[in-house]
Amino acid sequence: MSTRRAAMRLSLEADVWTIAASVAVAQIAFATLVWMYGESPRAMTALLLEGTWGSAYGVGQVLFKATPLLFTGLAVHVALRAGLFNVGAEGQLALSSLAVGVVGAWLPAGTPAMIALPLLVIVAALVGALWASPAAALRAVGAHEVISTILLNRVADALVGLLLGLGLSLKGGVRTPDVVQHARLSRLDRFVPALAGSAASTAVLVGIVVIAVTLWILPRSRMGREAELVAQNDEACAVERIPVKWRRAQALVLSGAIAGLASLGTVLGYKGYYEQGLGVGAGFTGLAVAILGRGRLLGIVFAAVLFGTLAQGGLAINAYVPAEAMEVIQGLVIVAVALGDAQVRTWLTDSLGAIVVRKTS
Amino acid sequence: MAVALRALLVDKRYGATLAVSGASLELEAAKIHAIVGENGAGKSTLSSIAAGLVAPDAGHVEVLGKRLSPHTARAAIARGVGMVEQHFRLIDALTVLDNAMLGTEPMRSLGRIDRKGARAKLAGVLEELRVKLDPDALVGTLGVGDRQHLEIARVLFRDARVILLDEPTAVLTPKDASALYATLRRLGDGGRAIAVVTHKIDEVLDHADVVTVMRRGRVVSTRPVDREQNRDAQRAALLHDAFHDADESSAATVRAPDDSEKVLLEIEELEAGAELRGVRLEVRSKEIVGIAGVEGNGQRELVDVLAGLRAATRGVVRAGAPIEVVHEDRHRRGLVLAATVADNAILGEYARYSRMVGLLDVRAMRAEATRRIDDGGVVPAEIDLPASALSGGNQQKLVVARALARGSASRILVLAQPTRGVDISAARQIHLHIVSAAQAGAAVLVLSADLDELRAICHRILVIARGHITSAARRDSDGRWDESSTNERLGAHMVAQAVGGEAS
Repeated sequence: MSTRRAAMRLSLEADVWTIAASVAVAQIAFATLVWMYGESPRAMTALLLEGTWGSAYGVGQVLFKATPLLFTGLAVHVALRAGLFNVGAEGQLALSSLAVGVVGAWLPAGTPAMIALPLLVIVAALVGALWASPAAALRAVGAHEVISTILLNRVADALVGLLLGLGLSLKGGVRTPDVVQHARLSRLDRFVPALAGSAASTAVLVGIVVIAVTLWILPRSRMGREAELVAQNDEACAVERIPVKWRRAQALVLSGAIAGLASLGTVLGYKGYYEQGLGVGAGFTGLAVAILGRGRLLGIVFAAVLFGTLAQGGLAINAYVPAEAMEVIQGLVIVAVALGDAQVRTWLTDSLGAIVVRKTS
Repeated sequence: MAVALRALLVDKRYGATLAVSGASLELEAAKIHAIVGENGAGKSTLSSIAAGLVAPDAGHVEVLGKRLSPHTARAAIARGVGMVEQHFRLIDALTVLDNAMLGTEPMRSLGRIDRKGARAKLAGVLEELRVKLDPDALVGTLGVGDRQHLEIARVLFRDARVILLDEPTAVLTPKDASALYATLRRLGDGGRAIAVVTHKIDEVLDHADVVTVMRRGRVVSTRPVDREQNRDAQRAALLHDAFHDADESSAATVRAPDDSEKVLLEIEELEAGAELRGVRLEVRSKEIVGIAGVEGNGQRELVDVLAGLRAATRGVVRAGAPIEVVHEDRHRRGLVLAATVADNAILGEYARYSRMVGLLDVRAMRAEATRRIDDGGVVPAEIDLPASALSGGNQQKLVVARALARGSASRILVLAQPTRGVDISAARQIHLHIVSAAQAGAAVLVLSADLDELRAICHRILVIARGHITSAARRDSDGRWDESSTNERLGAHMVAQAVGGEAS
């Protein structure tokens, strides 16, 4: 037992270091960028903190921005456990959001929440899973999931526009009709009045519960455990008759389903309908959240909140420094954290190595 | 005598284990210095420290009387220290020449690589080694012996005066091992200091000038080898130093099963691709059949067919029971190194522990894993360690223990190189497990390049060469081997028509 505890302490230390390092990188990058724009880093930092953690409203907004990232971060992590990079959370989320918007609006007006919400959760997960399954099938025959999921993002993007244009949207608009009243998730300010005006909804709590449950189940389920072993040595797994391809496919489909659940935050918790562009970027930022979160509940929540802070902080200082600066910082944090992560480093060297070797031979 | 390399009172700790503790080593020019000991005794760590690959926590290394600083592989190479590691560090997709000069490419102006110079230098090195290797051949096409030659050539290419080799004979036949030592002797006579890490005591007595014995991270003794003196006494002294408490009896004597025992495994005219061309054999319950052969003569293909990983192109395999296989490459096929010992001990058997809604009965899994590693004698017996934290010998014990724990008493076991790279006491434990599995009713097929191993545990020995079974040796009714089964005779069959048997 002692080795187990020692290992846990070591990984906890690594977590703390990752978090400290990511915050430090964000701060240094922020100061440098602001300085280059000719503004005072100190004043801008104060402004940013005031707009995020300085008020109850700001905190609410940070939580609101973090909500879809909880889901997409978990989604990417689930694939990563099986050694796969799901870059397709973006497209999986877009189509799920459209489906949730359409089905939510199609329900009879008086549908109670007890029926509407579980139904829409299933729709969100199913559509996300559906959009991940071509990539899962292609991986089984040898096509790399990074390529196929990226391409599916483009297809999803076009498909959403097409479907909206074909009559799923309100007349003359690019949005779906409002979902029925009881399908909407409550704003948090109903329970915590101080958050008044912020867009945070109970979806943030749903997200945390989903992460906790998923992370508890995966190492205790046959599928989750075998997928993890497949990631580490697929040849030994195949020899021991673990269904390698099937486990990979399952992990990618599950990842898509979880990415689809992010539409709970955007459609049901925020807008109450789907419009093109809603939730864009959450899929890609989910990659960073997964890497920074290191597969632990607190890690994923922290990472989502960090990127939520950057997004909201960008709005707070928009008058002085363009909000795009925050995307630069996000990018730098991702690169720094990713390079510090052993799993990503191995993946990178393996992939690049494979490409180089293929070229020379 | 000139001391070429000296390690002084070095310590190295990995986590909670002290891999090397207060160890000192002196390598003299023109001598072959063997370092022996059990798996996990610290031989590899000490030699890695001496070669600059691993920095010690305390103590230091001197090369030609000057301290090695900084303690890095690059500094050691610059000072003429080179190491051939147990697992080769070659790049299959590059040529022999590219591999030889990798990292130490001779340069011309403007950062251009002097390939012509490198080619000439490599030719000189190969000539000194008396090895014929095409500098433009892809390393992926080379056999094990040639890869090893290339590893040594690479070290010489770097002008090494001190050469350390970690378990260089683990993958070689006795004949190739002797040839290797002849090469090392020539290099030594040229004034180089040679150190060989091994656990084969007979090699040491045959070829080394000095031998250092390590046990549990410490240097127990360093003494000269005198080929004029009584060999058995020297062997006993080395064994005493290496395993002061290990018993010296040979493996359990085995009595051949009666003809009344059921034939569990029957193979007829089996063919698979070009590698396997008509294998026929049968194994009875309670019988252990050995297959000797030079590597690359169809053993791997035979195992793959039996494991269901490869289809036969012709012939029949009749199995009267489930087949459990231990593959020869434990790192790739046996273990998931990053996963825990517990996961590895029951790898692929999760279905048995799947309960409600697909959740696993973790408690039962851990209990079974604990039972298996206790039975298999895996040390340390901690199921939460990653498998990569075990020494090579204990990893092998884990793989064998898993295979032996599966299925009923009456089953078929196929074990490929079950004790390769495993020390004497661990090998003896594995042998005992195999023998008792057979006595309980299993039909056992053991593939090995180690004739002594096969003679110790088998009832019959077959030789495989170029995909054919070519000869058989058996014990008489008293359990003694017949005249035709001397190592020399079997060895002659192994190389007579074998792939890669004769240097070409």
